[in-house]
Formats: sequence, C-alpha cells, structure tokens
Amino acid sequence: MDQVKFDISLIEYGFFISAILVIMIGLYGAMVKKSLIKIVIGLSILESGVNLLLITIAYVQGGTAPIFSPGLLKDMPLTVENIKALGAGMVDPVPQALVLTAIVIGFGVTAVALALVIRLYRHHHTLVIDEIKNLKW
Amino acid sequence: MKKVLVLLLLVIFGVYLADVMFSLEFGRQVFTDGVRDFYLEKSPLDLKVSNTITAIVVNFRGFDTLGEVTVLFLATTAMGGILYKKRHAAGTRSVLFSSSKIVMAGSKILFPAIILLGVYVFIHGHLSPGGGFQGGTIIATGFLLMLMAYYDYSVNHNVLTIIESLAGITFAGIGLMGLVKGGSFLENTMPVGVMNNLFSGGLIPLIYIAVGFKVGAELTGLIYTALHEKD
Amino acid sequence: MVGSPVLFVAIPLLTAFLIPLFAYIWKELVRIIPGIVILYLLVLSVSLYGQVLREGTIVEQIAGWAPPWGINLVFSPFTGLLSTLMLFMAFIIWMYSYRFKNIDFEPSKKYFILLLMLVTGSIGIVLTGDIFNQFVFIEIMSISGYGLTAFYVGRDSAEASFKYLIMGSISSMFLLLAIILIYSQLGTLNMADIASKAHLMKPEFKILALIFFILGLGIEAEIFPLNGWAPDVYSQAPGPIGAAFSGIVVKAGIYALIRVIYTLFDVEGSLQFLVIIGMITLIIAEMAAIRQDKIKRMLAYSSIGQMGLVLVAFGIGTHEGVFAALFLMVSHALIKPLLFLSGSYLVFNSTEKSIKELNGLGKFMPLTSFLFALGAIAIVGLPPLSGFWAKWSVLTAAANSGMLLVIGLVLAISIVEIVYYFRVVNRIYFFKKEESVVPKIPTINAKFAMVILAVIIVAIGFYPDLITSYLHEASETLLDKGNYIQNILSVAQQVTQ
Repeated sequence: MDQVKFDISLIEYGFFISAILVIMIGLYGAMVKKSLIKIVIGLSILESGVNLLLITIAYVQGGTAPIFSPGLLKDMPLTVENIKALGAGMVDPVPQALVLTAIVIGFGVTAVALALVIRLYRHHHTLVIDEIKNLKW
Repeated sequence: MKKVLVLLLLVIFGVYLADVMFSLEFGRQVFTDGVRDFYLEKSPLDLKVSNTITAIVVNFRGFDTLGEVTVLFLATTAMGGILYKKRHAAGTRSVLFSSSKIVMAGSKILFPAIILLGVYVFIHGHLSPGGGFQGGTIIATGFLLMLMAYYDYSVNHNVLTIIESLAGITFAGIGLMGLVKGGSFLENTMPVGVMNNLFSGGLIPLIYIAVGFKVGAELTGLIYTALHEKD
Repeated sequence: MVGSPVLFVAIPLLTAFLIPLFAYIWKELVRIIPGIVILYLLVLSVSLYGQVLREGTIVEQIAGWAPPWGINLVFSPFTGLLSTLMLFMAFIIWMYSYRFKNIDFEPSKKYFILLLMLVTGSIGIVLTGDIFNQFVFIEIMSISGYGLTAFYVGRDSAEASFKYLIMGSISSMFLLLAIILIYSQLGTLNMADIASKAHLMKPEFKILALIFFILGLGIEAEIFPLNGWAPDVYSQAPGPIGAAFSGIVVKAGIYALIRVIYTLFDVEGSLQFLVIIGMITLIIAEMAAIRQDKIKRMLAYSSIGQMGLVLVAFGIGTHEGVFAALFLMVSHALIKPLLFLSGSYLVFNSTEKSIKELNGLGKFMPLTSFLFALGAIAIVGLPPLSGFWAKWSVLTAAANSGMLLVIGLVLAISIVEIVYYFRVVNRIYFFKKEESVVPKIPTINAKFAMVILAVIIVAIGFYPDLITSYLHEASETLLDKGNYIQNILSVAQQVTQ
C-alpha cells in the first residue's frame, strides 16, 4: 500500500516538475541558441510550459470536465442544489479559459516573430544571430 | 561559458519555482471563495450554457476574448506590414513543384470534410468541448492542406479581409448592442432558451460563430501570406 | 451620463475592424477615420474626467457581471488623468504623422490600424481592473509595437523589432506566471479582490509573484536590466512611433508597475526597492546618453533615465512623492514627444541620423530647431518651463522625506543632461552646416502638432497651477487603497444582498 501511495505522489509532483522543465527548456532555447528559428521555437516551448503550468493548477482530484452535458444531468431538475453538487465534482474552468486566451496570444506573437525572421533573412541572407548584429545587443 | 551561466541561472530559477509550487497540493485547490463556484453555478442556471468554459470565455470574461481576437487581427496586420514589398510578386511561391497524385486526390476529398468538422465544432461550442477558436483553426488547417497539396491553389485575399472585418464588427457590435439596450458592454440580452439545445445560450453561440469565421479567415490569411513569401 | 469607459476600448476596436472595409470605399478615409475616433475619445475622456472629479470614481462592469466575477473598468481621477493624457498625445501624433512620409497606401493603412491599437492597448492597461485583462492589453500594445517598429523596410528595423519581440514575449510569460501564482492562491483575478485578500497569500508566493510582475512589466516601463530594446527601437522606428513609445507606451508600463506595487501587494521594502532600481536605471541611462552619437539613441537613453527618476519619485511613497512622480510623467509625456517629433525632422534627410549632421540647421529650419531647443531646455529642468516644476517637486518631496542622496543625484544628473542636450543645441545654432545635408521643412500639420505641444509646455511652465490640482487629486486616489477596493467591491455587495 505504501508503495502505491508513493508512486501517486510522485506522479502528482511530476505534473509540476514537467511543466517547469518545459519552461526551463524553452528559456534555454530562447537565450542560448544562435539560430533565429531556434529562438522562435524556444519561445513557443516556453509558452507551452507556462500553459501547462496554468492548466495544472486547475485540476481538482477526481474532477470531470466542466460541461453539464445531458448524460451528466440525467433528467435531473435544474435546481441550485443539483448544480452545486455536480459543480463540486468538476475541475476549475477558469484556468482553462485563460489558457485558451494565452494560446491564441502566443500564436499571434509567434506569427509576428516568424515574419520578422523572414524579413531578416531577406536582408542578411543568414539566420545566424551573430552575423546580424548591426545594432548593439 | 555563456551556456553554463544560463544553465546555472535556469536551474536556480527552476528549483525555486518548483519549491514554491510544491507547497500546493496537486488536485486540491487552497482557496475556498474563488470565482469558480460562481461560474459553475451561474453558467447552467442563468445562461443555460452547458460548457462552462465557453460561458467564461464568451460571457463572463468576454472582454478578454475581444482582446484576443484583436491580437490575431493585429498579428495578420503586422505580418502584412512587415513583409510588405513595393513590387508585388503576387502568386509566386517559394516551392513550385506539385505533390503526388494520391495526395492531391486525397486532400480534395478531405477538404470539405475538414471544413464541415470545423463548422460543427464552432456551432456546438456552447454544448460540447470546442468553440470558435478551435473550429476556426480546423478550418484553417483545411486550407493549409489544400495550399500544400496544390502549388497553384490560391485564396482570394480580399474575401478574407472582408470576412475578417465583418466578423470583428459583429463581435464588437454585439457588445455595443448591450450598451445601447441600457445594460453593459457584451451583456447577454437575448433569451437564453432551454439548456443543451442548439439554439440556447442567447448571444453566446452567435459570438462564437463570428469568432470561428474570424479565426478561420485570419489563420488562412497568415498561412497564405507566409507561403507566398519569396526573396 | 456622458458615456461609458468601455467606449475607450470598444470604439477603437470597432474602427480597427472597419478600416479595411473603408479602404475599399475611399483610400483617404484610412488616414482620416483614426484621427476622428481619437478626437472623439479625447473629448469623451475630458468630459468623463470632469464628471469623475465632481461625482467620484466610475466603475464599469462588463457583460453585466459585478466584480470580482466579471471584468471591470475603473475610471478614477488617477486613471482618467492618464487616459486623457494618452489620448491627447495620440491625437498629436496622429496629426503629425498624417502625411509624415509619402508611403504607399497598403502600409499606411496598416500603420494607422497599428497606431490606433497601440493607443487602445495602453488605455486598456490603465483602465482595466483585472490582471489577466491587463495581460491581454499588454499583448495588444506590444504586438502593435513590434509591427510599427519594423515598419520601414530599409533600415535595421527588423532586427530592433526582433530584439524587442524576444524580450517582450519572455517577459509576458513571466507576467503569466505571476498570474498563475496569484490564481493558485486566491482563486480570483480581480485587482481589488486580490488586494483585499492579499494577506491570505503565503509569503513565498507573494514575493515570487512580485518578482515575476516586475520582470514582466519592467520591460514596458524600461527599468534597468530590461531596457536593452529601447534605444534600438526608438532609433529604428518611424519618428512619430518613437514619440508614441515615449509618450504613451512607457507611461502605461509605469502605471501597471505602480498599480501592482501600490495596490495589489503590501510587500515590505518594495518601495525602497523602487528607489534603488530607479536610481540604477537613472545613472546608467544618463551615462550611456552622454556617449551616444546618434540623436534618437540619445533621446532614448534620456527617456529611460527620466523613467528611472519617475520610479525614484514613486518610491518616496509619500503624497508629495507620488505627486512629483505624476508631474514628471505628465511633463515628460509632453516634452519627449516634442523632442522626438522635431528631432526626426532635423535628421529627415540624413543617412547616419547622427548628431554631427545637425550642424548649423538652425538657420535653415528655424521653427523645428527652435522647438527642439525649447524641448531641450524644458527636459533638463531649466526655469521657466514645465520640466523645471517637475524636477522641483521631486526635490521638495525628497527633502521632506530626508532622502538627501536622491537630491544630490537629481542635481548631478541635471548637470549631465545639460551637457549632452546643449551639445546638440550648440551644434544646431553655432556650427557651420555640412554640405551633404538637405534641410526638410515640416508639413503644415506636423508644424501645428509641434507648436501645440510647445505652447502647452510653456503654459505649464508659467502657470503650473493649471494642472497641480488635478495631479494632487490623482495622487490621493492612488494612495487611497482602501477606497479603491471599496469602490469596486461595493458593487458586488449590492448584488449579493
């Protein structure tokens, strides 16, 4: 029994650990890599990590998706008590809504970044950041 | 040297963040009077929307979504501005060979099905997982498939601009309608209907349909602009 | 009821979506409509501001849900002052850039959409009462900023923009992390709700969230280690956009930072931290400014330095300190755009954009040179212009709180500023003109825009009482945290009763 318990808690910590690892990989890519494309990929990974962390805090143990589908309602009358009882067993919907917004914003930023990469390539005919430094970095 | 330094900094940052996050127990929220209970209660009872996330995205926090749609709009605008060239080499693409016959035939069959799926997803956004953003993205993948399969496939950019603008105006206009009717911006002023029906939730499905069109048109436009870039 | 604060966001968004359609009707509409919209919003903002001063803060709920459940906009004497200032600057910049360079139709359409959205994002940051909504507006503002920076194809603008984008998007991820930390502890995103529950947060969460907020917002506020993008962006972006950054975007960044530190958290020692970070920013920026040989880079470093001074003044923490900081913000928002606008006409036809090429332009471009000199005199803080009163109020605030180091620093920095600004003015008036430089006479609308700014700077210089009462009111509002919370959450209590 003890063994099982240990495993579960490791998995639970694993969600935080993996999200933070993804964030670190993304930051490393964005800060160290020399290729413009790889920097943009690093940014994308960073965004994914943050989104993962955001979704992780939404989980409620044993919770279902926050959708009151007909199968879940099972002809129950729509009273405050019924809804509250069902809602208590659902995961937190707020971070999920926030993640939707964050993903779309991240997409917009990535699109602009790639457009800039195309522009830079057009001017300098290279993607290596060391060869583009006309301005002081 | 720089790599080692960055790595060291990142490890310190990661351990610190992990240390703080570990004091949260996974699956148990520490707060008791957060906003989530209110949303979970009002969404089925007042708005008759079974997908709580849709209710939050479109109604409770609809202002964020308006901003989000604007971010996409700005991304297409900024991308067009950044990649603008004086002499327009319209219709030229960096890759000019056609794909195999199987791919071409297969994508032609798949294309309508993908569009249909996208439309289904954004129409049922208030009933099931999905919504305008997801549906719009699916539609854009359909166009992406066609653009990749046929090197001479083209999309009318003016039509995309018009769809984009009209959908944006619809969203902002629905918002202002609430204000005109004496309520507040984006207020759900239409009757909400019966829960789990297709025609329910008042303005929420309408807004999500507008979002679906807008996202689909914008993503297609983005792909198209990036694809027709030749140096 | 004159109007509602939500119009400051809704109408520009509607216009931005409409502009591509107007472009099919008549191409000139693309340039005219944004100006009309900004003017209308400016009038609305002034009238709402008057109403707020008489009747108290307006809290606007969106989608009919009371805070903390719905998003709310707060139009208080403080935020109203800033939004009026931003809209005024936006109008000036629109007027200036109406025919700045003869660019093609397609880019000019995008230019005006992005400019309008830059302003809207900034106003949204100031008005909103919800941290996630603020994040969305910050992204709207910065994406417009990336697009506008890379607007000219010829220069190294794409590089500057890419640098800004990398720093901007990493920092916005930190902002999101801060929001995650707060939500995981309190389960709410409303600023007033967070402020009223901040004592429930575990201290380690609070401190980490504050660090992430500073990392995330510091980039727009140009505080020390995060301002590497600013000189490049200011020197590569079109002239009016440099003015928009220094007059509008930076102010929004400072506002967001101040809102977090003053209202959201009450972490011990955060105000001293502001003073230290402000001082470091100030010293490093002014030292860098004196070494620049390009005019716009010099102005950019000077702008960073001024923001450092604003942070120092906010860090004093007393009513006088906040008053001084707001005075500095207002006066900087008027003067620095004037310098950017006149400066970009001075280097209009030069290739290097360096200070050497300004030699002797005073005779050939009398009005522009005079306005630049006026701006220089105002920004170093010589009487009788508005900059003098701003610096004077910082000095009195520091003296009354016994911060002698700040006084010494401000005086020393003023001397540095005099050296590098007057080096430029000296070149403009007393050097011989170089053959290769062709003077460029500003268009009539640009002249008009610059003269309006100059007149206001002189007017505030001679009659500082014109604005001091508003600034006092605004700083009182910022410091009264309890009232802010009560204003917003009382709406919710009415609903539940």
